[in-house]
Amino acid sequence: MNILEIKNLYKDFGGLRALNDLSLTIEQGQIFGLIGPNGAGKSTAFNCIAGVYAPTGGEIFFNGARINGEKPWTLCTKGLARTFQIVKPFATKTVLYNVMVGSFARTANRAIAEEKALEVLEYLHFTKHKDTRAGNLTIADRKRLEIARALATEPKLLLLDEVMAGLRPSEVDEMVEIIKDLRDRGVTIFVIEHIMRAIMALSDHVVVLHFGQKIAEGTPRQVASDEKVIKAYLGDEYVVSAN
Amino acid sequence: MTHQSINKAACLLIAAVVLGLPLVVRSATYLHILVLLYFYAYLTTSWNLVGGFAGVLPLGHAAFVGIGAYTSSILYLQYGISPWLGMIVGGVLATIVGILIGLPTFKMRGAYFALATIAFAEGIRVMIENIDRLGPFVLNGPRGLQIPPLNLGLKNFLFASKEPYYYIILLMLGAVLVLTYAISRSKLGYYLNAGGEEPEAAMALGVNVARAKLIAMAMSSFLTALAGTFYAQFTLYIHPKSVVSLDLSFEIAFIALIGGRGSIAGPVLGALLLRPVSDFSRIYFGDTLPGLHLVIFGVVLILVMIYQPRGLQEPLTRLYNNLVDRLVGRRVGELQA
Repeated sequence: MNILEIKNLYKDFGGLRALNDLSLTIEQGQIFGLIGPNGAGKSTAFNCIAGVYAPTGGEIFFNGARINGEKPWTLCTKGLARTFQIVKPFATKTVLYNVMVGSFARTANRAIAEEKALEVLEYLHFTKHKDTRAGNLTIADRKRLEIARALATEPKLLLLDEVMAGLRPSEVDEMVEIIKDLRDRGVTIFVIEHIMRAIMALSDHVVVLHFGQKIAEGTPRQVASDEKVIKAYLGDEYVVSAN
Repeated sequence: MTHQSINKAACLLIAAVVLGLPLVVRSATYLHILVLLYFYAYLTTSWNLVGGFAGVLPLGHAAFVGIGAYTSSILYLQYGISPWLGMIVGGVLATIVGILIGLPTFKMRGAYFALATIAFAEGIRVMIENIDRLGPFVLNGPRGLQIPPLNLGLKNFLFASKEPYYYIILLMLGAVLVLTYAISRSKLGYYLNAGGEEPEAAMALGVNVARAKLIAMAMSSFLTALAGTFYAQFTLYIHPKSVVSLDLSFEIAFIALIGGRGSIAGPVLGALLLRPVSDFSRIYFGDTLPGLHLVIFGVVLILVMIYQPRGLQEPLTRLYNNLVDRLVGRRVGELQA
Protein backbone atom coordinates (compact mmCIF):
# COMPACT_ATOMS: atom_id res chain seq x y z
CA MET A 1 0.00 0.00 0.00
CA ASN A 2 1.11 3.57 -0.65
CA ILE A 3 1.53 5.49 2.58
CA LEU A 4 2.34 8.76 0.85
CA GLU A 5 1.46 9.86 -2.63
CA ILE A 6 2.33 13.24 -4.11
CA LYS A 7 0.78 14.27 -7.41
CA ASN A 8 2.02 17.25 -9.44
CA LEU A 9 2.99 19.31 -6.44
CA TYR A 10 3.78 23.02 -6.97
CA LYS A 11 4.94 25.58 -4.44
CA ASP A 12 5.62 29.22 -5.32
CA PHE A 13 7.16 31.83 -3.05
CA GLY A 14 6.24 35.06 -4.80
CA GLY A 15 7.88 34.73 -8.21
CA LEU A 16 10.10 31.84 -7.19
CA ARG A 17 8.91 28.35 -8.05
CA ALA A 18 10.40 26.22 -5.27
CA LEU A 19 8.65 23.01 -6.31
CA ASN A 20 7.82 22.29 -9.91
CA ASP A 21 5.48 19.42 -10.76
CA LEU A 22 6.85 17.00 -8.17
CA SER A 23 5.27 13.56 -8.08
CA LEU A 24 6.39 10.62 -6.00
CA THR A 25 4.98 7.56 -4.29
CA ILE A 26 6.22 6.00 -1.07
CA GLU A 27 5.20 2.46 -0.19
CA GLN A 28 4.64 1.30 3.33
CA GLY A 29 7.85 0.02 4.92
CA GLN A 30 10.20 1.78 2.51
CA ILE A 31 13.17 3.93 3.32
CA PHE A 32 12.75 6.64 0.73
CA GLY A 33 15.57 9.09 0.05
CA LEU A 34 15.28 12.64 -1.24
CA ILE A 35 18.52 14.26 -2.37
CA GLY A 36 19.58 17.28 -4.37
CA PRO A 37 21.96 20.23 -4.26
CA ASN A 38 21.40 23.10 -1.82
CA GLY A 39 18.25 25.05 -2.60
CA ALA A 40 16.74 22.25 -4.67
CA GLY A 41 13.49 22.39 -2.70
CA LYS A 42 13.88 19.36 -0.44
CA SER A 43 12.91 21.05 2.81
CA THR A 44 10.11 22.89 1.01
CA ALA A 45 8.72 19.52 -0.05
CA PHE A 46 8.85 18.37 3.58
CA ASN A 47 7.17 21.52 4.79
CA CYS A 48 4.35 21.04 2.26
CA ILE A 49 3.84 17.44 3.33
CA ALA A 50 3.95 18.24 7.05
CA GLY A 51 1.41 21.05 6.75
CA VAL A 52 3.71 24.00 7.39
CA TYR A 53 3.13 25.40 3.87
CA ALA A 54 -0.02 25.09 1.84
CA PRO A 55 0.95 23.87 -1.63
CA THR A 56 0.30 26.21 -4.55
CA GLY A 57 -0.92 23.31 -6.67
CA GLY A 58 -1.10 19.55 -6.73
CA GLU A 59 -2.27 16.96 -4.26
CA ILE A 60 -0.82 15.06 -1.29
CA PHE A 61 -2.32 11.81 -0.04
CA PHE A 62 -1.41 10.24 3.29
CA ASN A 63 -2.74 6.73 3.86
CA GLY A 64 -5.15 7.28 0.98
CA ALA A 65 -6.65 10.49 2.37
CA ARG A 66 -6.03 13.92 0.86
CA ILE A 67 -4.14 16.09 3.35
CA ASN A 68 -3.59 19.34 1.42
CA GLY A 69 -3.77 22.33 3.74
CA GLU A 70 -4.20 20.31 6.93
CA LYS A 71 -2.49 21.66 10.00
CA PRO A 72 0.77 20.19 11.32
CA TRP A 73 -0.79 19.10 14.63
CA THR A 74 -3.65 17.17 13.00
CA LEU A 75 -1.17 15.48 10.67
CA CYS A 76 0.90 14.52 13.68
CA THR A 77 -2.04 12.81 15.34
CA LYS A 78 -2.74 11.02 12.06
CA GLY A 79 0.72 9.49 12.25
CA LEU A 80 2.98 11.83 10.31
CA ALA A 81 5.99 13.08 12.25
CA ARG A 82 9.00 15.11 11.20
CA THR A 83 12.32 16.44 12.41
CA PHE A 84 13.74 19.85 11.58
CA GLN A 85 16.93 20.46 9.65
CA ILE A 86 17.70 23.34 12.00
CA VAL A 87 17.06 21.63 15.32
CA LYS A 88 14.44 23.24 17.55
CA PRO A 89 14.73 21.83 21.05
CA PHE A 90 12.72 23.30 23.95
CA ALA A 91 16.06 24.55 25.22
CA THR A 92 15.24 25.44 28.83
CA LYS A 93 13.55 22.08 29.45
CA THR A 94 15.07 18.67 30.15
CA VAL A 95 15.40 16.00 27.49
CA LEU A 96 12.66 13.97 29.16
CA TYR A 97 10.34 17.01 29.14
CA ASN A 98 11.04 17.50 25.43
CA VAL A 99 10.18 13.92 24.58
CA MET A 100 7.07 13.96 26.79
CA VAL A 101 5.66 16.81 24.69
CA GLY A 102 5.75 14.31 21.86
CA SER A 103 4.24 11.42 23.78
CA PHE A 104 1.36 13.59 24.98
CA ALA A 105 0.12 13.41 21.38
CA ARG A 106 -1.26 9.94 22.15
CA THR A 107 -2.41 10.34 25.75
CA ALA A 108 -3.48 12.96 28.25
CA ASN A 109 -2.18 10.88 31.14
CA ARG A 110 1.11 12.11 32.54
CA ALA A 111 2.30 8.74 33.84
CA ILE A 112 1.68 7.03 30.50
CA ALA A 113 3.36 9.87 28.63
CA GLU A 114 6.41 9.65 30.87
CA GLU A 115 6.63 5.89 30.51
CA LYS A 116 6.39 6.15 26.72
CA ALA A 117 9.06 8.89 26.66
CA LEU A 118 11.44 6.82 28.78
CA GLU A 119 10.87 3.87 26.46
CA VAL A 120 11.86 5.97 23.45
CA LEU A 121 14.93 7.35 25.25
CA GLU A 122 15.99 3.83 26.19
CA TYR A 123 15.55 2.69 22.59
CA LEU A 124 17.80 5.51 21.34
CA HIS A 125 20.43 4.88 24.07
CA PHE A 126 19.67 8.34 25.38
CA THR A 127 18.50 7.58 28.91
CA LYS A 128 21.63 8.92 30.55
CA HIS A 129 20.77 12.40 29.26
CA LYS A 130 17.13 12.41 30.35
CA ASP A 131 17.67 15.08 33.00
CA THR A 132 20.02 17.22 30.91
CA ARG A 133 18.72 20.59 29.83
CA ALA A 134 18.17 20.36 26.06
CA GLY A 135 20.02 23.64 25.50
CA ASN A 136 23.20 22.05 26.87
CA LEU A 137 23.27 19.12 24.45
CA THR A 138 25.87 18.68 21.70
CA ILE A 139 24.68 18.98 18.11
CA ALA A 140 24.69 15.19 17.68
CA ASP A 141 22.54 14.75 20.76
CA ARG A 142 20.19 17.51 19.64
CA LYS A 143 19.62 15.63 16.39
CA ARG A 144 18.94 12.53 18.40
CA LEU A 145 16.49 14.48 20.54
CA GLU A 146 14.66 15.59 17.38
CA ILE A 147 14.21 11.92 16.46
CA ALA A 148 13.25 10.95 20.01
CA ARG A 149 10.51 13.57 20.16
CA ALA A 150 9.16 12.59 16.75
CA LEU A 151 9.17 8.89 17.66
CA ALA A 152 7.30 9.58 20.88
CA THR A 153 4.31 10.66 18.80
CA GLU A 154 4.18 7.08 17.41
CA PRO A 155 4.37 7.94 13.72
CA LYS A 156 3.56 5.69 10.78
CA LEU A 157 5.60 7.90 8.48
CA LEU A 158 8.67 9.72 9.72
CA LEU A 159 10.20 12.61 7.80
CA LEU A 160 13.88 13.01 8.67
CA ASP A 161 15.42 16.29 7.50
CA GLU A 162 19.22 15.96 7.46
CA VAL A 163 19.52 14.22 10.80
CA MET A 164 23.09 13.16 10.00
CA ALA A 165 24.58 16.48 8.99
CA GLY A 166 27.32 17.44 11.41
CA LEU A 167 27.73 13.96 12.88
CA ARG A 168 31.03 12.08 13.12
CA PRO A 169 31.39 8.98 10.92
CA SER A 170 30.83 6.61 13.84
CA GLU A 171 27.71 8.53 14.79
CA VAL A 172 26.48 8.36 11.20
CA ASP A 173 26.84 4.57 11.27
CA GLU A 174 24.89 4.41 14.50
CA MET A 175 22.14 6.59 13.05
CA VAL A 176 21.96 4.40 9.93
CA GLU A 177 21.43 1.36 12.14
CA ILE A 178 18.72 3.13 14.13
CA ILE A 179 16.86 4.16 10.97
CA LYS A 180 17.04 0.63 9.56
CA ASP A 181 15.76 -0.77 12.84
CA LEU A 182 12.88 1.71 12.86
CA ARG A 183 11.89 0.53 9.41
CA ASP A 184 11.96 -3.05 10.64
CA ARG A 185 9.55 -1.99 13.39
CA GLY A 186 7.07 -0.82 10.79
CA VAL A 187 7.81 2.90 10.49
CA THR A 188 8.07 4.16 6.94
CA ILE A 189 10.98 6.58 6.56
CA PHE A 190 11.26 9.54 4.21
CA VAL A 191 14.73 10.98 4.52
CA ILE A 192 16.53 14.07 3.21
CA GLU A 193 20.26 13.64 3.43
CA HIS A 194 23.45 15.13 2.07
CA ILE A 195 25.77 12.40 3.30
CA MET A 196 25.88 10.13 0.26
CA ARG A 197 27.44 7.23 2.13
CA ALA A 198 24.40 7.15 4.42
CA ILE A 199 21.77 7.63 1.75
CA MET A 200 23.30 4.91 -0.42
CA ALA A 201 23.44 2.48 2.47
CA LEU A 202 19.91 3.23 3.62
CA SER A 203 17.52 3.95 0.81
CA ASP A 204 15.40 1.50 -1.11
CA HIS A 205 14.46 4.24 -3.51
CA VAL A 206 15.87 7.70 -4.20
CA VAL A 207 14.44 10.81 -5.84
CA VAL A 208 16.75 13.61 -6.96
CA LEU A 209 15.51 17.20 -6.93
CA HIS A 210 17.14 20.06 -8.82
CA PHE A 211 15.61 23.56 -8.91
CA GLY A 212 12.36 22.12 -7.60
CA GLN A 213 12.10 19.51 -10.31
CA LYS A 214 12.54 15.76 -10.15
CA ILE A 215 15.46 14.94 -12.45
CA ALA A 216 16.03 11.29 -11.59
CA GLU A 217 14.52 8.44 -9.63
CA GLY A 218 15.43 4.84 -8.90
CA THR A 219 17.65 2.69 -6.73
CA PRO A 220 20.65 4.45 -5.21
CA ARG A 221 22.94 2.78 -7.75
CA GLN A 222 20.85 3.83 -10.74
CA VAL A 223 20.65 7.40 -9.52
CA ALA A 224 24.34 7.72 -8.75
CA SER A 225 25.30 6.86 -12.31
CA ASP A 226 22.66 9.09 -13.87
CA GLU A 227 24.19 11.70 -16.15
CA LYS A 228 21.75 14.46 -15.16
CA VAL A 229 22.43 13.90 -11.47
CA ILE A 230 26.18 14.15 -11.87
CA LYS A 231 25.68 17.29 -13.93
CA ALA A 232 23.47 18.83 -11.25
CA TYR A 233 25.92 18.13 -8.47
CA LEU A 234 29.27 18.66 -10.16
CA GLY A 235 28.68 20.61 -13.38
CA ASP A 236 28.85 19.72 -17.08
CA GLU A 237 32.57 19.05 -17.40
CA TYR A 238 32.48 16.08 -15.01
CA VAL A 239 30.14 13.97 -17.08
CA VAL A 240 32.20 11.17 -18.53
CA SER A 241 30.57 10.08 -21.74
CA ALA A 242 30.27 6.35 -22.26
CA ASN A 243 31.64 6.51 -25.77
CA MET B 1 14.25 12.25 56.61
CA THR B 2 13.88 12.69 52.84
CA HIS B 3 13.54 15.69 50.56
CA GLN B 4 9.84 15.10 50.25
CA SER B 5 9.18 15.05 53.95
CA ILE B 6 11.18 18.26 54.37
CA ASN B 7 9.23 19.89 51.55
CA LYS B 8 6.00 18.81 53.17
CA ALA B 9 7.12 20.14 56.54
CA ALA B 10 8.09 23.46 54.96
CA CYS B 11 4.69 23.75 53.29
CA LEU B 12 2.91 22.99 56.56
CA LEU B 13 5.05 25.53 58.37
CA ILE B 14 4.24 28.24 55.83
CA ALA B 15 0.55 27.34 55.99
CA ALA B 16 0.58 27.55 59.79
CA VAL B 17 2.35 30.92 59.70
CA VAL B 18 0.04 32.55 57.17
CA LEU B 19 -3.04 31.16 58.89
CA GLY B 20 -1.88 32.41 62.26
CA LEU B 21 -0.59 35.81 61.19
CA PRO B 22 -3.81 37.75 61.91
CA LEU B 23 -3.63 36.52 65.51
CA VAL B 24 -0.25 38.23 65.87
CA VAL B 25 -0.64 41.19 63.53
CA ARG B 26 -3.37 43.25 65.16
CA SER B 27 -2.74 46.49 63.28
CA ALA B 28 -5.31 47.14 60.56
CA THR B 29 -2.66 48.90 58.46
CA TYR B 30 -0.36 45.90 58.40
CA LEU B 31 -3.20 43.51 57.74
CA HIS B 32 -4.25 45.75 54.85
CA ILE B 33 -0.71 45.56 53.47
CA LEU B 34 -0.72 41.77 53.81
CA VAL B 35 -4.10 41.48 52.09
CA LEU B 36 -2.82 43.54 49.17
CA LEU B 37 0.33 41.41 49.08
CA TYR B 38 -1.75 38.25 48.67
CA PHE B 39 -3.99 40.07 46.21
CA TYR B 40 -1.00 40.86 44.00
CA ALA B 41 0.44 37.36 44.41
CA TYR B 42 -2.94 36.02 43.30
CA LEU B 43 -3.14 38.38 40.31
CA THR B 44 0.38 37.56 39.21
CA THR B 45 -0.15 33.83 39.57
CA SER B 46 -3.25 34.11 37.37
CA TRP B 47 -1.28 36.23 34.89
CA ASN B 48 1.48 33.62 34.94
CA LEU B 49 -0.77 31.07 33.21
CA VAL B 50 -0.44 33.15 30.04
CA GLY B 51 2.55 35.36 30.71
CA GLY B 52 4.67 32.61 32.19
CA PHE B 53 3.64 29.26 30.77
CA ALA B 54 2.63 30.38 27.30
CA GLY B 55 5.72 32.54 26.91
CA VAL B 56 3.98 35.74 25.81
CA LEU B 57 3.91 39.06 27.67
CA PRO B 58 0.39 40.31 28.22
CA LEU B 59 0.40 43.87 29.57
CA GLY B 60 -3.31 44.49 29.82
CA HIS B 61 -4.53 42.30 32.63
CA ALA B 62 -5.90 45.29 34.51
CA ALA B 63 -8.78 45.18 32.02
CA PHE B 64 -9.92 41.87 33.55
CA VAL B 65 -9.55 43.20 37.08
CA GLY B 66 -11.74 46.11 36.02
CA ILE B 67 -14.34 43.92 34.36
CA GLY B 68 -14.58 41.79 37.50
CA ALA B 69 -14.76 44.77 39.83
CA TYR B 70 -17.30 46.71 37.78
CA THR B 71 -19.55 43.74 36.98
CA SER B 72 -20.03 42.59 40.54
CA SER B 73 -20.30 46.14 41.88
CA ILE B 74 -22.94 47.18 39.36
CA LEU B 75 -24.93 44.00 39.97
CA TYR B 76 -24.74 44.55 43.72
CA LEU B 77 -25.44 48.28 43.79
CA GLN B 78 -28.23 48.34 41.22
CA TYR B 79 -29.83 44.92 41.58
CA GLY B 80 -28.82 43.76 45.04
CA ILE B 81 -27.22 40.62 43.63
CA SER B 82 -24.68 39.05 45.99
CA PRO B 83 -21.11 39.92 44.98
CA TRP B 84 -20.26 36.21 45.16
CA LEU B 85 -22.60 35.63 42.23
CA GLY B 86 -21.40 38.84 40.59
CA MET B 87 -17.88 37.52 40.91
CA ILE B 88 -18.74 34.53 38.72
CA VAL B 89 -20.62 36.70 36.21
CA GLY B 90 -17.62 39.03 36.02
CA GLY B 91 -15.33 36.05 35.53
CA VAL B 92 -17.41 34.73 32.65
CA LEU B 93 -17.54 38.19 31.06
CA ALA B 94 -13.77 38.57 31.41
CA THR B 95 -13.27 35.12 29.87
CA ILE B 96 -15.24 36.17 26.81
CA VAL B 97 -13.26 39.42 26.52
CA GLY B 98 -10.01 37.48 27.08
CA ILE B 99 -10.80 35.10 24.24
CA LEU B 100 -11.80 38.00 21.97
CA ILE B 101 -8.47 39.70 22.73
CA GLY B 102 -6.53 36.46 22.37
CA LEU B 103 -7.98 35.37 19.01
CA PRO B 104 -6.35 38.11 16.93
CA THR B 105 -3.32 38.80 19.14
CA PHE B 106 -1.88 35.33 19.78
CA LYS B 107 -0.66 35.27 16.19
CA MET B 108 1.62 38.21 17.02
CA ARG B 109 5.03 37.76 18.51
CA GLY B 110 7.04 39.45 21.24
CA ALA B 111 6.58 43.17 21.58
CA TYR B 112 3.66 43.30 19.13
CA PHE B 113 1.57 41.07 21.35
CA ALA B 114 2.45 43.12 24.43
CA LEU B 115 1.53 46.36 22.64
CA ALA B 116 -1.75 44.93 21.38
CA THR B 117 -2.81 43.89 24.88
CA ILE B 118 -1.91 47.36 26.21
CA ALA B 119 -4.05 48.87 23.47
CA PHE B 120 -7.05 46.71 24.34
CA ALA B 121 -6.77 47.42 28.06
CA GLU B 122 -6.35 51.15 27.54
CA GLY B 123 -9.30 51.13 25.18
CA ILE B 124 -11.46 49.55 27.85
CA ARG B 125 -10.22 52.06 30.45
CA VAL B 126 -10.96 55.08 28.25
CA MET B 127 -14.40 53.67 27.50
CA ILE B 128 -15.26 53.25 31.17
CA GLU B 129 -13.90 56.69 31.94
CA ASN B 130 -16.12 58.32 29.37
CA ILE B 131 -19.33 56.40 29.85
CA ASP B 132 -21.70 57.41 32.62
CA ARG B 133 -24.41 54.98 31.66
CA LEU B 134 -24.21 51.88 29.52
CA GLY B 135 -27.85 51.03 28.79
CA PRO B 136 -29.36 50.33 32.19
CA PHE B 137 -25.98 50.10 33.92
CA VAL B 138 -24.56 53.10 35.77
CA LEU B 139 -20.77 53.30 35.41
CA ASN B 140 -20.29 56.85 36.69
CA GLY B 141 -17.39 57.50 34.32
CA PRO B 142 -14.24 58.80 36.03
CA ARG B 143 -16.02 59.21 39.38
CA GLY B 144 -16.22 55.47 39.83
CA LEU B 145 -18.47 53.41 42.06
CA GLN B 146 -18.74 53.44 45.81
CA ILE B 147 -20.04 50.49 47.79
CA PRO B 148 -21.69 51.65 51.01
CA PRO B 149 -20.51 49.59 53.99
CA LEU B 150 -24.06 48.64 54.98
CA ASN B 151 -25.64 45.22 55.46
CA LEU B 152 -22.37 43.62 56.44
CA GLY B 153 -22.05 39.87 56.29
CA LEU B 154 -20.75 36.94 54.29
CA LYS B 155 -23.66 37.05 51.83
CA ASN B 156 -22.82 40.60 50.80
CA PHE B 157 -19.04 40.05 50.88
CA LEU B 158 -18.77 43.00 53.31
CA PHE B 159 -16.98 42.85 56.63
CA ALA B 160 -16.19 45.35 59.34
CA SER B 161 -12.70 44.01 60.05
CA LYS B 162 -9.79 43.03 57.83
CA GLU B 163 -9.52 39.41 59.02
CA PRO B 164 -12.28 37.91 56.85
CA TYR B 165 -10.77 39.56 53.77
CA TYR B 166 -7.40 38.20 54.78
CA TYR B 167 -8.67 34.62 54.88
CA ILE B 168 -10.70 34.95 51.71
CA ILE B 169 -7.78 36.18 49.60
CA LEU B 170 -5.50 33.64 51.25
CA LEU B 171 -7.89 30.88 50.25
CA MET B 172 -8.08 32.26 46.70
CA LEU B 173 -4.29 32.44 46.50
CA GLY B 174 -3.90 28.87 47.79
CA ALA B 175 -6.46 27.60 45.28
CA VAL B 176 -4.87 29.33 42.31
CA LEU B 177 -1.42 28.06 43.34
CA VAL B 178 -2.69 24.48 43.50
CA LEU B 179 -4.39 24.95 40.13
CA THR B 180 -1.20 26.34 38.58
CA TYR B 181 0.83 23.47 39.97
CA ALA B 182 -1.62 20.93 38.55
CA ILE B 183 -1.60 22.63 35.14
CA SER B 184 2.20 22.80 35.01
CA ARG B 185 2.33 19.01 35.33
CA SER B 186 -0.51 18.35 32.90
CA LYS B 187 -0.61 17.95 29.14
CA LEU B 188 -1.81 21.55 28.84
CA GLY B 189 1.18 22.79 30.83
CA TYR B 190 3.61 20.89 28.62
CA TYR B 191 1.86 22.15 25.50
CA LEU B 192 1.91 25.77 26.71
CA ASN B 193 5.59 25.64 27.52
CA ALA B 194 6.46 23.92 24.26
CA GLY B 195 4.38 26.33 22.21
CA GLY B 196 5.88 29.30 24.00
CA GLU B 197 9.44 28.20 23.44
CA GLU B 198 9.45 26.73 19.91
CA PRO B 199 6.03 27.03 18.30
CA GLU B 200 7.03 25.34 15.03
CA ALA B 201 8.52 22.32 16.75
CA ALA B 202 5.53 22.13 19.10
CA MET B 203 3.08 22.14 16.20
CA ALA B 204 4.98 19.33 14.49
CA LEU B 205 4.63 17.32 17.72
CA GLY B 206 0.87 17.61 17.68
CA VAL B 207 0.43 20.79 19.70
CA ASN B 208 -2.30 23.18 18.59
CA VAL B 209 -0.39 26.14 19.99
CA ALA B 210 -3.07 28.77 19.40
CA ARG B 211 -5.71 26.63 21.09
CA ALA B 212 -3.54 25.94 24.13
CA LYS B 213 -2.85 29.66 24.51
CA LEU B 214 -6.54 30.52 24.22
CA ILE B 215 -7.41 28.00 26.94
CA ALA B 216 -4.75 29.52 29.17
CA MET B 217 -5.99 33.02 28.38
CA ALA B 218 -9.58 32.04 29.19
CA MET B 219 -8.55 30.62 32.57
CA SER B 220 -6.25 33.51 33.31
CA SER B 221 -8.82 36.21 32.55
CA PHE B 222 -11.50 34.38 34.54
CA LEU B 223 -9.27 34.10 37.61
CA THR B 224 -8.07 37.68 37.29
CA ALA B 225 -11.62 38.99 37.23
CA LEU B 226 -12.40 37.19 40.50
CA ALA B 227 -9.67 39.25 42.12
CA GLY B 228 -11.32 42.39 40.74
CA THR B 229 -14.48 41.64 42.69
CA PHE B 230 -12.41 40.99 45.78
CA TYR B 231 -10.67 44.34 45.39
CA ALA B 232 -13.97 46.19 45.02
CA GLN B 233 -15.40 44.57 48.15
CA PHE B 234 -12.20 45.18 50.06
CA THR B 235 -11.62 48.85 49.24
CA LEU B 236 -15.32 49.70 48.70
CA TYR B 237 -14.41 52.22 46.03
CA ILE B 238 -13.40 51.56 42.46
CA HIS B 239 -12.69 53.96 39.64
CA PRO B 240 -11.06 53.48 36.23
CA LYS B 241 -7.66 54.71 37.41
CA SER B 242 -7.55 52.22 40.27
CA VAL B 243 -8.73 48.99 38.68
CA VAL B 244 -8.19 49.38 34.93
CA SER B 245 -4.98 51.40 34.95
CA LEU B 246 -1.83 50.64 33.03
CA ASP B 247 0.08 50.95 36.32
CA LEU B 248 -1.73 47.89 37.65
CA SER B 249 -1.01 45.88 34.49
CA PHE B 250 2.64 46.87 34.67
CA GLU B 251 2.96 46.09 38.36
CA ILE B 252 1.68 42.55 37.74
CA ALA B 253 4.25 42.08 34.99
CA PHE B 254 7.00 43.60 37.18
CA ILE B 255 6.25 41.19 39.99
CA ALA B 256 6.23 38.23 37.61
CA LEU B 257 9.45 39.18 35.81
CA ILE B 258 11.37 39.88 39.01
CA GLY B 259 10.03 36.84 40.85
CA GLY B 260 10.41 34.53 37.87
CA ARG B 261 7.73 34.01 35.24
CA GLY B 262 6.77 30.49 34.34
CA SER B 263 7.50 29.11 37.78
CA ILE B 264 4.99 28.44 40.53
CA ALA B 265 6.88 30.23 43.29
CA GLY B 266 7.99 33.21 41.18
CA PRO B 267 4.84 35.35 41.41
CA VAL B 268 4.55 34.79 45.17
CA LEU B 269 8.21 35.59 45.76
CA GLY B 270 7.93 38.65 43.54
CA ALA B 271 4.93 39.95 45.46
CA LEU B 272 6.68 39.19 48.75
CA LEU B 273 9.68 41.27 47.70
CA LEU B 274 8.03 44.12 45.82
CA ARG B 275 4.79 44.81 47.66
CA PRO B 276 6.48 46.01 50.86
CA VAL B 277 8.69 48.29 48.76
CA SER B 278 5.65 49.77 47.13
CA ASP B 279 3.63 50.13 50.37
CA PHE B 280 6.40 51.54 52.51
CA SER B 281 7.60 53.95 49.88
CA ARG B 282 4.03 55.18 49.69
CA ILE B 283 3.78 55.51 53.48
CA TYR B 284 7.05 57.38 53.90
CA PHE B 285 7.53 59.17 50.59
CA GLY B 286 3.94 59.31 49.35
CA ASP B 287 3.76 63.10 49.57
CA THR B 288 7.34 64.02 48.66
CA LEU B 289 8.19 61.40 46.02
CA PRO B 290 4.99 59.83 44.68
CA GLY B 291 5.69 56.98 42.27
CA LEU B 292 9.04 56.24 43.90
CA HIS B 293 8.14 52.55 44.09
CA LEU B 294 7.89 52.32 40.30
CA VAL B 295 11.39 53.80 40.00
CA ILE B 296 12.68 51.22 42.50
CA PHE B 297 10.86 48.46 40.61
CA GLY B 298 12.54 49.62 37.42
CA VAL B 299 16.00 49.53 38.95
CA VAL B 300 15.37 46.12 40.52
CA LEU B 301 14.00 44.80 37.24
CA ILE B 302 17.09 45.95 35.33
CA LEU B 303 19.39 44.31 37.88
CA VAL B 304 17.40 41.09 37.90
CA MET B 305 17.28 40.92 34.11
CA ILE B 306 21.06 41.36 33.94
CA TYR B 307 22.06 38.94 36.69
CA GLN B 308 19.11 36.54 37.00
CA PRO B 309 17.16 36.65 33.74
CA ARG B 310 14.95 33.79 34.89
CA GLY B 311 13.90 35.69 37.98
CA LEU B 312 14.78 35.53 41.63
CA GLN B 313 13.04 32.21 42.11
CA GLU B 314 15.97 30.42 40.47
CA PRO B 315 18.76 31.31 42.92
CA LEU B 316 16.33 31.05 45.83
CA THR B 317 15.18 27.60 44.76
CA ARG B 318 18.81 26.54 44.45
CA LEU B 319 19.54 27.92 47.91
CA TYR B 320 16.58 26.08 49.37
CA ASN B 321 17.56 22.81 47.69
CA ASN B 322 21.13 23.14 48.96
CA LEU B 323 19.83 23.73 52.46
CA VAL B 324 17.59 20.67 52.26
CA ASP B 325 20.48 18.66 50.83
CA ARG B 326 22.65 19.64 53.73
CA LEU B 327 19.94 18.80 56.22
CA VAL B 328 19.40 15.39 54.66
CA GLY B 329 23.12 14.83 54.27
CA ARG B 330 23.89 15.67 57.87
CA ARG B 331 21.19 13.34 59.09
CA VAL B 332 22.71 10.52 57.09
CA GLY B 333 26.15 11.40 58.48
CA GLU B 334 24.85 11.41 62.03
CA LEU B 335 23.30 8.01 61.58
CA GLN B 336 26.55 6.58 60.36
CA ALA B 337 28.51 8.08 63.25
